[in-house]
Amino acid sequence: MLESLVHVSLTGISAGMFIWLVASGLTLIFGVLRVLNFAHGSFYMLGAYLCYTCLRYMGVDFWLGVIIGPLIVCVVGYAMERYLLRQVYDLELPYQLLLTFAMVLIFDELVKMIWGAGSIGSPTVPGLSGSIQIAGRNFPVYNIFIMVVGPLVAIGLWAFLEKSWWGRLIRAAAADREMAAAIGVRVPALYTAVFVFGAWLSAVGGALAVPYVGLLTTGMGEAVIINAFVVVVIGGLGSLQGAFLGALFIGLLNSFGTRYIPALDMFLTFILMGVVLLWRPQGFFAGVDR
Amino acid sequence: MNAALLEVRDLNKAFGNVVTAKNLSFSLVDGTLTSIIGPNGAGKSTLINILSGSIPPDSGEILFQGQDITRYPIDRRVREGLCRSFQVANVFGHLSLFENIAIPVIALKHKATSFLSSVKKDLEVKQAVDKILDRIGLLDHSHVTASALSHGDRRLLEVGIALAAKPRLLFLDEPTAGMNPVERTRILKNIRDLSAEGEVTFVIVEHDMDVVFSLSERVIVLYRGKIIGDGTPEQVKSNPQVREVYLGEEVA
Amino acid sequence: MSRYSKYVIAAAVLAILLGIGLFSSRFILYLTMRVMILSIFAMGYNILFGRTGLLSFGHAAFFATGAYGAALWSMHVSSSHPLLGILTGIVAAAFLALIIGFFCVRHTEIYFSMLTLAFGMMVFSLMWNLRDITGGDDGLSGIVRGSISLGFFKIPIMKDSQFYFLVLFFFALSSLIIYRIYQSPFGLVLAGIRENHIRTEFAGLGVRRYRLAAFVVSGAFAGLAGALSLLLQSNVTPFSAHWSHSADPVLVSLMGGLQTFSGPFVGSILFVVLREFIERFTHNWMLWFGLILLGIILGFRGGIVGSTSQFLKRFSR
Repeated sequence: MLESLVHVSLTGISAGMFIWLVASGLTLIFGVLRVLNFAHGSFYMLGAYLCYTCLRYMGVDFWLGVIIGPLIVCVVGYAMERYLLRQVYDLELPYQLLLTFAMVLIFDELVKMIWGAGSIGSPTVPGLSGSIQIAGRNFPVYNIFIMVVGPLVAIGLWAFLEKSWWGRLIRAAAADREMAAAIGVRVPALYTAVFVFGAWLSAVGGALAVPYVGLLTTGMGEAVIINAFVVVVIGGLGSLQGAFLGALFIGLLNSFGTRYIPALDMFLTFILMGVVLLWRPQGFFAGVDR
Repeated sequence: MNAALLEVRDLNKAFGNVVTAKNLSFSLVDGTLTSIIGPNGAGKSTLINILSGSIPPDSGEILFQGQDITRYPIDRRVREGLCRSFQVANVFGHLSLFENIAIPVIALKHKATSFLSSVKKDLEVKQAVDKILDRIGLLDHSHVTASALSHGDRRLLEVGIALAAKPRLLFLDEPTAGMNPVERTRILKNIRDLSAEGEVTFVIVEHDMDVVFSLSERVIVLYRGKIIGDGTPEQVKSNPQVREVYLGEEVA
Repeated sequence: MSRYSKYVIAAAVLAILLGIGLFSSRFILYLTMRVMILSIFAMGYNILFGRTGLLSFGHAAFFATGAYGAALWSMHVSSSHPLLGILTGIVAAAFLALIIGFFCVRHTEIYFSMLTLAFGMMVFSLMWNLRDITGGDDGLSGIVRGSISLGFFKIPIMKDSQFYFLVLFFFALSSLIIYRIYQSPFGLVLAGIRENHIRTEFAGLGVRRYRLAAFVVSGAFAGLAGALSLLLQSNVTPFSAHWSHSADPVLVSLMGGLQTFSGPFVGSILFVVLREFIERFTHNWMLWFGLILLGIILGFRGGIVGSTSQFLKRFSR
């Protein structure tokens, strides 16, 4: 009994880390650009598909795939922000949301067109394959790796934002963009940089997910963005801490739900979201206003 | 009839270290045109925001016509008869002047849930709207879009929207800000006339001393969240504390 | 545009629609019915989006609920009272909109949009998972379009050529109701909320309440459209609740013109025609949908009716 509890928890935490990677980028982009990027799940999906392509068709090492795939997504993200999103910053909010939404549809179809609508099997990672014994059962080594990466990213982001000069710039622009522009910060360039960085985080999540999920589908972007949305509602839109803890929580909830009440499945996360909305509508951590 | 229209008891509000209201207590009586003055940062805007319902106080009570409205949401306070206008013209930009005034009129006449009848054909609404528009001198412009108005006209519309809700107590936040002398005269005359008619009690937050002293029957002076002067314009003018605060500010 | 000319145009449109019903081929009938159903969906949606200023990404859920409601009525209660089935669909959709709306309207803008999407997908996953009720990803099919029994006589709607007039009836009725809503005090209040919700509060109106009302009304019309769609296609799947379908009324309203009454109708015609055309050449309708949406956002936000009226205004100077 205890063994399965431990296992379900560990599984939940590792699953949550992927959601965290997507939610972190989403939160960062929202915090600075004040835009909710619906297409963030698509970056995750593209990161995964591109990484897979590197492995499968270019015979490249997994780690190189984790580097190359997201880099390509960075280019895509750059193009999207610079040439599309930038055009609509001055418009009312609905248009910005609709633009990112249109991109989801476009990305989804493009992926289907390039890689086919069916699912693709994904390979294991040499060196991180296999499992170790935890609490009397086998637990994949790769998952442990993910459970380390997630918090590392969290700490890295925190250190970056709090301690580095760039981080301070970003926080300043997030708090007051007019002031930042007034003191000489090139706000448009900063926006692009943050957007690309956020996209990169999400794509890395996707690339790292390749050995984890076992099967790449065109629905993976959709599933992760919904989870990411629930996470930011719970954690508070604009709060990175909230996103991390929220992702952890949702990962655990999904894991326990799948194991003990499979009939309810995704519904559990929505119930939780509903409860949080009634109890603490702005989320549990102070975020950014909107 | 001499019962207080508004009674404020021990109002406190602080934003972090900045105290904008400290044990603030005062009463307003029906029919007395009151001005609230004070240097910048004295807490005038915060006070209006708290009284009108935009911001909750940290502690204290607000009684309006004997009722405790401290917890009431904004729209409920308006329905009770406590209204405000804004310093920066806060109008319905893309709607016509008629529609701007019609909205509070519709609310007042409890017609907001009516979804199959036509606004344009509603004589009761039309009469009420036209009356207000006429009052503020904008009847000819009733089909003009609000965003196309001049600044001064927009301020007039601003007050018009507040008046259309037929409040008993109306807070005007710097009603003459940014107006040219002609516009200013017009709005002051309107306020004076309406005040004399006795249906609305005005409380004006102002910086312009001419306006304050020519219009008000009572002046309340705020400084750092506390009342340091309260009385007729003459009394306040000769209050040493008030003079120090204002003169001190000028010298500094 | 004078009131007189509005009536003339409305009468002309009605006449054309009647004519199509009486004289066209099955294919044109089918397309026109799709246009009318989509119009009902979009006109109702526009009350919330164009008029009240709230962008919902979850309205496909109400459309689907209307469809499932009518389907389940037909399957489990009676297939010979399709009008009641439609009513069931509308009520179910409105009720769901009430619940979801309650959670969503307390927030605005970004949160609102995000929440509607999340709740919409929740409904989608429910419809997918509750196999026993909804048939899972296969959906429900083979729904019989029974005749409408009104006491002593029955109105047959089995054939498309007959059903067409029922759709036309609901289209005309919906248009009339929505037109009246736009002209009403309630409609003006919604515009006020869109323009300046703070000032609306200060006018003495509880904004949340009216937003919820707009949400429920638009949900009800979505349900009506869904129910009619069910009867037209004789089947329904969970995919009709998917977020990609929630974008349909948005695109339609944008194409036709957001702030106009006739925009959704014009947009629907364009949408259905475009879709038919594009689907002849490619399977990737969604890609084109996204591209068109993108194009409109970037360049053509007034929509057809909006741009046309602006053009006419400039012309008449």
